[in-house]
Amino acid sequence: MLEVSGLSAAYGAVAALEDVHLRVAGDQVVCLLGANGAGKTTTLNCISGIVPVRRGRVLFEGEDVTNRLPEQIVRRGVVQVPEGREIFPRLSVEDNLRLGGWTQRRHRSWRDDLARVHDLFPRLRERAHQPAGTLSGGEQQMLMVGRALMARPRLLMFDEPSLGLSPLLVRQLFAIIARIHRAGLPILLVEQNARIALAASAYGYILENGEITLHGPADRLAADARVRHAYLGG
Amino acid sequence: MLMLKLLQAAASGVVTGCIYAMIALSVVIIYKATEIVNFAGGELVMVGAWLGLLLVGYFGLPRPVMLLAVPVVLFVLGAAFDRLALGRIARRRPSRRLEHATLVVATIGLSNLLKGAVRGIPYTQEVRRLPPLIGGAPIFVGDVVLERQDLAIVALAAVVMLALWAFFRYTLPGKALRATSQNARAAALVGIPVAGMRMSVWGLAASLSGLAGVMLAPKLLLTPDMGDVVTLAFAAAIIGGFTSLPGCVVGGAILGIMQNLVGTFIAPQAIAVTPFFVIMLVLLLRPQGLFGDTVGVRRV
Repeated sequence: MLEVSGLSAAYGAVAALEDVHLRVAGDQVVCLLGANGAGKTTTLNCISGIVPVRRGRVLFEGEDVTNRLPEQIVRRGVVQVPEGREIFPRLSVEDNLRLGGWTQRRHRSWRDDLARVHDLFPRLRERAHQPAGTLSGGEQQMLMVGRALMARPRLLMFDEPSLGLSPLLVRQLFAIIARIHRAGLPILLVEQNARIALAASAYGYILENGEITLHGPADRLAADARVRHAYLGG
Repeated sequence: MLMLKLLQAAASGVVTGCIYAMIALSVVIIYKATEIVNFAGGELVMVGAWLGLLLVGYFGLPRPVMLLAVPVVLFVLGAAFDRLALGRIARRRPSRRLEHATLVVATIGLSNLLKGAVRGIPYTQEVRRLPPLIGGAPIFVGDVVLERQDLAIVALAAVVMLALWAFFRYTLPGKALRATSQNARAAALVGIPVAGMRMSVWGLAASLSGLAGVMLAPKLLLTPDMGDVVTLAFAAAIIGGFTSLPGCVVGGAILGIMQNLVGTFIAPQAIAVTPFFVIMLVLLLRPQGLFGDTVGVRRV
């Protein structure tokens, strides 16, 4: 499905990623773990076409999408739910969602897509006409997930979805991620919270200083002494 | 008599105010979309005016054709400038702050380029004036005299500004433009072509300036330096808060009316200082302008 090989990226002279390999198979949740600044977000942004790839390739469904424009990558179905509050604050909640479907705007089916997102997040239906900037942090996170679904993704990438959310909201969000996955969508999950990410994933990669240092099935990673020590608090 | 003078000054003020508002809108939509202050806004007005005169006075085209052709040509000009100059500079991306300063300087370059280009055309060597958009006897409302052409200017400006408002408020491409100006990164991540949006904004802004030029041309002598009128548009934009589209319209109207009142009741020589006086007054009472966001200092 998604295959990243030999990926390198840099900000100016500072190397951010060095020879990163990772794969997401057709029906998996795969997580990418690592400390702050390890290069997790950069990896996603390289795949999304926001950060230029210096060396290496990104293949999606067998097609080379390295360094394509972000809009071309979204149109192919690789959609990112970014970290933080990356919404359009002064547009209504509904307009935020509609713009999520920008690449699908010529299709008549956006109303169905919107109805599906509203079923998944009833809160967004209640708040459809208020400015997105007035939503709470958790609601904004939901809005970004809904917005990504409006693009009819074939692979969904989450960047730190748990960041800044209460434990209750994190549980709700991961329940929704699991539900989206069960509906048949492969997921690449970037997280600092290794415990919850490994529990949700089938396979995991550990990124340290821009390089993949360890990878394997999620249950084996969760049992690995080094992972337990560095990421699971003992 | 006093009342009549007052009404007459207000009526004339609304006409020039409409033109200031259109130029201010042109400057502000670029600023909102790209954070660039477009110093070539006035020269786009000037090019629009000369182009209108050329099409009507030299090629003898009917006026409605000219009114359609000018915004189309200016759209292409604005979009091309973004694509060929600003796009290239932005792609080199030395650093964000340096880039921003370079882009602003590039608009000053465009301003000089356009002035030079218009001066180079032999037709522009003589001082000319665009014949009125509509002829005919003035209309009296009570004792207030309204030129037909002034009514046409106000009507055209109203239609254009309403269309612009509806475009940003109700259409998906309009919302995509607003989204891009609110959060360019998020816009890219949902698949909105950010570079294309920027180019469209430049095209749209240049169209607005060009149309303003056509409206201004019958009231003013045409010279390659007539772009200086942009100072008044900046004033209108600042009064309105510089990030608010309704603010441009209100700011333009206030400025136009104030200028005419000052000209009528104080002294014609005082008209030139009026904008600065109004700006100082507004900024003293409301530093963010009438409709602006909260005040922040930005280093350029």
